[in-house]
Amino acid sequence: MGYEIKVGDQQSDIKLLNVDGNVMEILVGDRNYKVDILEAEKGIYSIIYEGISYNVELISKYKKKYTATTLYNSYDIEVIDAETRYKNSRKKSEDEDSAYISTPMPGKIVKILVKEGDKVKGGDTVIIVSAMKMESEYKVVKDRIITKVLVKEGDNIEGDQPLIMLE
Amino acid sequence: MIKKILIANRGEIAIRVMRSCREMGIKSVAVYSEADRTSLHVRYADEAYFIGPSPSNESYLVIDNIIEAAKISGADAIHPGYGFLSENAEFSNRCEKEGIIFIGPSSYAINTMGDKITARKKMLSANVPVVPGTTEPITDIKEAIKYINEIGLPVMIKATAGGGGKGMRLVAKEEDIVSAVTSAKSEALASFSNGDVYIEKYINSPHHIEFQIVADKHGNCVHLFERECSVQRRHQKVVEETPSPIMTDKVRAEMGKHAVAAAKAVNYAGAGTIEFITDNDLNYYFLEMNTRLQVEHPITERVVGVDLVRTQINIANGDLLEFKQEDLKQNGHAIEVRIYAEDPDNNFMPNPGTIEHITEPLGLGVRHDGYVFAGYKIPIYYDPMISKLIVWGSTRHEAIERLKRALYAYKITGIKTSIPFLSRILDVPDFVNGNYNTHFIQDNEELLKLKKKSSQRVEDIASIAVFVDFLANLNKHKDQRFCKPQSGSWKAFGRKRNVTRL
Repeated sequence: MGYEIKVGDQQSDIKLLNVDGNVMEILVGDRNYKVDILEAEKGIYSIIYEGISYNVELISKYKKKYTATTLYNSYDIEVIDAETRYKNSRKKSEDEDSAYISTPMPGKIVKILVKEGDKVKGGDTVIIVSAMKMESEYKVVKDRIITKVLVKEGDNIEGDQPLIMLE
Repeated sequence: MIKKILIANRGEIAIRVMRSCREMGIKSVAVYSEADRTSLHVRYADEAYFIGPSPSNESYLVIDNIIEAAKISGADAIHPGYGFLSENAEFSNRCEKEGIIFIGPSSYAINTMGDKITARKKMLSANVPVVPGTTEPITDIKEAIKYINEIGLPVMIKATAGGGGKGMRLVAKEEDIVSAVTSAKSEALASFSNGDVYIEKYINSPHHIEFQIVADKHGNCVHLFERECSVQRRHQKVVEETPSPIMTDKVRAEMGKHAVAAAKAVNYAGAGTIEFITDNDLNYYFLEMNTRLQVEHPITERVVGVDLVRTQINIANGDLLEFKQEDLKQNGHAIEVRIYAEDPDNNFMPNPGTIEHITEPLGLGVRHDGYVFAGYKIPIYYDPMISKLIVWGSTRHEAIERLKRALYAYKITGIKTSIPFLSRILDVPDFVNGNYNTHFIQDNEELLKLKKKSSQRVEDIASIAVFVDFLANLNKHKDQRFCKPQSGSWKAFGRKRNVTRL
């Protein structure tokens, strides 16, 4: 099976048809593009298509998840390969909610409002994290039980790190 | 004579101060926390001293540690920059006691201007206009009506013990005065067990306009004209420009005189800023004084042609001001934007991280005050501002076009920044026409949002970049030069030239 590309909620097939040096032929959905593409600087792709010059900046948090920024737009794009497809099929059978609380950016734990075994209601704040002088509260979406607290107050954390496990 | 200055700050402002030191042949001393060991200000300075752990209350805010660093280094003066200890009267006092020159005002000036009520009283006695209102609680409703008619509607009725919007009423019509006062009183009584309310004039569509002043220790004080800072988000300035698009020569001269009078009222020495709240008809009222260098000082430097840090140092040295009011003129137009490490499309969430790549804009009329570099990890402990971009043009129109060009060329990857949001501000008609006040960002929320609709083609091009990057990182392509430029071409050319003797 080949690859798919997911832009926001839209998913389409993507296929590399031909490579000739910098010039590549790529099929996105049913649209065929013959582009001159180079990684001009780290994380910045220069693409020339039909004489028009595009710059796309990529920030990749995981291997397959990207934020792509063009001059006027910003897209969340994910490459879906066989592995992701397998994982997604398993996730759906369980629950849609994530199994833990995490933050999108690095920061410092200001306050933890729950302990292991606590029952929390949807909308309850469970943890407060500060980054760059701004504090953010993280809440649970539905009624949950706290199974494990993995950090303590004052800890420095990375982005996307599991902080509190939920049942 | 000051020969060595310790800069009790970090980030772009520390470097900004050191630049002037270097030009004046003054040695600079950096201080740094754990997180800042590799920061640019440490590398730019002549000397650097460690002052404590990363959180600022254990390093940059610890007076003892900074004084100790100053003594070890033998610095004869301390420049506090902005933020941190810049408006701390205790620090100013301590420097004086230790025999170190504080490049900033006396503790008396800091204290007087720091307290809203004493500042207001000082300004009234110096005939500087303040927001009209009563300072005493309303006791008699007839007196209140009489007073409101004097200052004119609309007014705010506010609880003296108030906060959080409780006990506050906006009154726009005369017939509403009695009911507003009564209901504000009862709400205040219920919320704070204190029913005292007072009256303050309500400023419709307020502008934030501030005046830069400098004063030496010999009683000379001049102003360096205004800065318009009305583009704000949550009371945080986003864009600043000078001259203000709504200013007239007559009002400018008047406001300048009042700014100088305000500074003189507290025997001010150094560089300072008088903030005014101004309405659409250019009625203006003293708001507060900032007794330090402002973040947005470069636009004044550019338009007036004065190095404010150099001026601060000369004043601290006891020198006379090098210029008189009549020597100063505004030349052209300057705009500054602040670049923050935050995600404008996700509720301005702070976005610390590692800078992968940075391309700073250059060219005619562009100044860039920053401190980050490729590979630098932005610490989570400090302010998210990473740089300031300042442009100058002979007209406002030219300055806006230049700023658009500079933002287009400004690329930072690895983290999200406010650059796209700033570009969108420059396209909003109210900004282009100079017709804006402090409600600008909320009034133009829709126009400032990310344009979700884009062409299928641009979306596909972005998808292609992602897909190709993904493939390039797969192992099977790693050793091939998959879509990577042949970086060795100059080397190859050199080798070839050596062989063929071109």
